Amino acid sequence: MSERTAAPAGQADGRTDDQADRRADRRAERRAERQAEEGERRADPRRRNNRAWLLVLPVVVSVAFTAVIPLMTVVNFSVQDIFSPGDRLFVGLEWFRSVSRDPEVRAAFVRTLLFSAQVLLLEIPLGVLLAVSMPRRGVWVSVTLVLVALPLLIPWNVVGTIWQIFARPDIGLGGWAVNNVLGLEFNYTLDATDAWITVLAMDVWHWTPLVALLAYAGLRSIPDPYFQAAQIDGASAWATFRHIQLPRLRGVLTIAILLRFMDSFMIYTEPFVVTGGGPGNATSFLSILLSKIAVGQFDLGPAGAFSLLYFLAVQIVCYVFFTVLTRTGR
Amino acid sequence: MLPGLEWMVWTGPTAAVFIGLGLLLCGMAVWAKISPPVARRGFLRIETDRGDRLYIGLISAAVVLAGWIAVTDLSMWLALACAFLVALTIGLWG
Repeated sequence: MSERTAAPAGQADGRTDDQADRRADRRAERRAERQAEEGERRADPRRRNNRAWLLVLPVVVSVAFTAVIPLMTVVNFSVQDIFSPGDRLFVGLEWFRSVSRDPEVRAAFVRTLLFSAQVLLLEIPLGVLLAVSMPRRGVWVSVTLVLVALPLLIPWNVVGTIWQIFARPDIGLGGWAVNNVLGLEFNYTLDATDAWITVLAMDVWHWTPLVALLAYAGLRSIPDPYFQAAQIDGASAWATFRHIQLPRLRGVLTIAILLRFMDSFMIYTEPFVVTGGGPGNATSFLSILLSKIAVGQFDLGPAGAFSLLYFLAVQIVCYVFFTVLTRTGR
Repeated sequence: MLPGLEWMVWTGPTAAVFIGLGLLLCGMAVWAKISPPVARRGFLRIETDRGDRLYIGLISAAVVLAGWIAVTDLSMWLALACAFLVALTIGLWG
């Protein structure tokens, strides 16, 4: 008994055992065939049951009403000069020509790109630095996480209001300190550079935590033996960071860079509240200029053309974002 | 024009563009039903099926048109031809 169970399947003694083995083999073969067939059937979309897609219909309808129809209307606006309801003139691509060559629009575009670049250059290293210096275990983990995440919980317009007061040279703590403690002339309502620095500092304060949280999550996923091995080899803190932590952060940092680029490229609320695009147009980013044309001057045609060009830029970044995200997930 | 759509300020050319886009999407859906798309790698170096390439092609065509109108006064029909060529190239070999 014990001998037979111990013997390998192919060398079983006795005829009945042999037959039983063969029957079992055939059954296994048939099962494998059935499974392969089933797999093929699933791989072929024509033979798959696709009816679950109908559940997407409500979303399609709501997106049609909230996005597609308004977008179509914007496209219609962009090719006409609309004087009043019922009084309009088809102008072809004239608005696209004038908007894309408008020095003010071009300046805003360059400004927005510059802002996004500075945001990335400041927030990504700062966020990683913050994540690296956060504790890996112990009670302080929760405390630091909550403290770091705090700015993310504040609504955008409130962030704007906070900084509008905070940076004021007369009654704001930050502005007052820069003027009276550091002794620097600082007034964001008068000086273009000061306004830019204020908006940039506000964005860094508001969004570096996001980068830090993403990077922290990435760091936490590195198994401890890596660090133990580095310690045994006598690696310095920098070498550990450069060769263990940074390579492991590639995925989350890609996401962080794209998220922060998109957000800063479309920034509106905070600079609108703090500087309103001024002084002059020192901080009038694309979105601020656009809303000035669209709802300030009610120039529907140029605003339509402007929105579509802006939309195209955002669309490209979105697609890159989407592609990178889905590819890193694989 | 249909009643109640006056607020959308439709014009002939924009209506034609959207009807064309709609037909294009319907055509792609029918084509996908007849012969399901297969993802592959082309000169774009990422895995795409023909729907992806249509989208990338349309966006690229829009970039060509926008870039053209921003820098030159040459006819937009020429730009349209270039945009079509770009979209076609991406669709076939992208």
